[in-house]
Amino acid sequence: MNSLAMSRLNINSKHGEDPSNDICPVCKSNRYLNPSLQFLINPECYHKMCSTCVDRIFTSGPAACPVPHCGKTLRKKGFHKAFFESLSIEREVDIRRKVASVFNRRQEEFESLRLFNDYLEDVENLVFDLVEGRGKVRQAAEKKLEQYRLGNMKEIEENERTEKEEAEMEKLRETNQKEAARRRRLANQQEELEEKAVVAKAARDTLEQLANDEGHAEEITKRAERIILKGAGPRRRQFEKPVEANGSADGSLTIRGLKKKEAPTKDMPYDPFGGLNVAPTKYVLQKDYESQWLAGVKKNENNHLTGGYSLPEYYGRAMFEAFSGLSVFIEDEKEADPKQSPSAAVATEAAVLAVGVMMEIDDVF
Amino acid sequence: MKLLSSNQPSMATTPADSPDRSIDDFAEQMNEAEKNKYTKGRKLGEGTYANVYLGTLKSDPTKLVAIKKIKIQTDYKEGMAPDAIRELKHLQELSHPNIISLLSVFSSKDQNLNLVLEFLPLGDLEMLIKDTKNIRYGAGDIKAWMGMLSRGIYFCHANFVLHRDIKPNNLLIADDGEVKLADFGLARSFADPYRPMTSNVITRWYRPPELLFGTQHYSGAVDIWSVGLVFAELVLRMPYIAGDTEVHQVNLLTQAVGTPTEENWPGVSKLPAYTVPLPHTPVREKDYYNQMFGTAGIVGVDLLMQMLVLDPSKRITAKEVLNHDWWYTDPKPTRNKNLPRKGGGEEAVVADLKRRPGVVEDERTAKIARKLDFGNMA
Repeated sequence: MNSLAMSRLNINSKHGEDPSNDICPVCKSNRYLNPSLQFLINPECYHKMCSTCVDRIFTSGPAACPVPHCGKTLRKKGFHKAFFESLSIEREVDIRRKVASVFNRRQEEFESLRLFNDYLEDVENLVFDLVEGRGKVRQAAEKKLEQYRLGNMKEIEENERTEKEEAEMEKLRETNQKEAARRRRLANQQEELEEKAVVAKAARDTLEQLANDEGHAEEITKRAERIILKGAGPRRRQFEKPVEANGSADGSLTIRGLKKKEAPTKDMPYDPFGGLNVAPTKYVLQKDYESQWLAGVKKNENNHLTGGYSLPEYYGRAMFEAFSGLSVFIEDEKEADPKQSPSAAVATEAAVLAVGVMMEIDDVF
Repeated sequence: MKLLSSNQPSMATTPADSPDRSIDDFAEQMNEAEKNKYTKGRKLGEGTYANVYLGTLKSDPTKLVAIKKIKIQTDYKEGMAPDAIRELKHLQELSHPNIISLLSVFSSKDQNLNLVLEFLPLGDLEMLIKDTKNIRYGAGDIKAWMGMLSRGIYFCHANFVLHRDIKPNNLLIADDGEVKLADFGLARSFADPYRPMTSNVITRWYRPPELLFGTQHYSGAVDIWSVGLVFAELVLRMPYIAGDTEVHQVNLLTQAVGTPTEENWPGVSKLPAYTVPLPHTPVREKDYYNQMFGTAGIVGVDLLMQMLVLDPSKRITAKEVLNHDWWYTDPKPTRNKNLPRKGGGEEAVVADLKRRPGVVEDERTAKIARKLDFGNMA
């Protein structure tokens, strides 16, 4: 008996026998008298009232909430039907939606997953303050939210746009996939029909041949089988290929769609040299140098010049090698910084010297 | 070789190099220390020339490196393979964002040379060019890639190094989209006057006419020709001059660019291997290029034409390339992070690293052994 009573109680509460679900707290009108009773709420204060009350009180403009001690000014426009039965959940969802539209940073904007998670935690704390906080805590949280919104307006809008684009991309991808699947199905059907036709034709041919030819009956049937098999192979392969192609094409589409626009960086003018300057500092490279040794090259001996041998390149290298290492005093650097290994500059110079040495053994190749 | 070990990326020498016993031990120790900085991971792939392993830094296991272990080659029993030496010698000198960085070198127990290279996970330019189905790119992207390639080449030339094997699959892509010049297996420093160099370098499709005609004295212009052909290939999305043999290459080249003659290239007929098909094709005019490479824009076509000048002495230099107007005209070069990329993964990286330098690898040539003529080098 006891358990039966319990279960009935449960059922009752589920069905909302709770009087607040049937009686408007403002005008006390009853669902029994007015079956189309509909409750509306306003996210300003989440006080529930029936649609008749909303019409009655707020049609002529904003007015105070009729619930005693509330006093919030409400507008008719703000009223809507509650989606959740529990108003506290309704409120939390509304708050979350509002916060999410402001704190819409994306993972790609963060340097590491760790930092992104930290950010999510901060946002969750803020949500908690807004939902559960009372008085000052809540006010502070609200202020924080508003400040962030004003401070990051541009980025928020940009992320919103990205999200929208992504949603569209996703939709497009889905429709594409559906279309591809439909085409595949059609192709499949076509394929089956064709195959049947081939088999039927082969059977007809075999019968005809058996009737007309004087060839061996078994041989004719075997030949027919071969023809059917031969036809089926290539057709099957042909049809498998595009499926594969579709798959990969879709894959790349998603990747492109997911490509993120990061926060705009400063637009620097393009420098083709990438900041590299190798102009010599210790000497000025001349266009031409007089040298007995180079006379042969200048006279195009052995097709030096025809083959493109470049004297300026040679001048550049010869001068560079002649001057490399000058005014570098390894002793000084050692004294200045005794503990550390030779600085990068020294190492570079050493490398330069090494090049010189290796030039000598270059002949091998 | 002692000087080598004091260089910037600390290099360990192979013990066999020094006769002195104490130095021998010291070198051994350095090598051991260098070797112990890295953990050799699983093998990524095997090629004829080298095996490639994924490696990590022992001090920071999240840092990936590619360890290229050069195989002992049967042709070079005495000492190391020239490819390996060339790569090592030049990479250790060149430090630039558009050149693959050599982090370290050490030898392992069987005297195998191990090059520790930057791990570039996003494949190479060739993959992007070939994948016409999934990858789409525009003039801005081409400009960005060409910009990085030109910087890399300018840096090589400014440091007196000829790369001699520029082609799309030697242009690797770092995970930030930066293009890096790799595979210095055929590189050498600028030659002195009267000292011949071999003309049998640069993968055939990207080989300039002077090398096809067998010149032994050439300059950075040979690399520029290759850069020009990479440019053309980026626009066309297929190799522009793809000959099956050297003769075929010359034929296609004359059709595509024009016949090299005494008028447009004084002295060319005296080059050792000068043969051109008859009748002569006049050098292609601007209209032809504009029609074929319109995507690059008029200014871009102008740059391309200057890179593909037949006479190497009139060809644009790397520095002049970077001073060209194209870099400043619209569209702007795409930012690295927005460049199209492909999730090529490590297979491509491996394919790039284990390849032999200087050869076109397709079905036709796969079985033909590479020929590098070191014999005529004085």
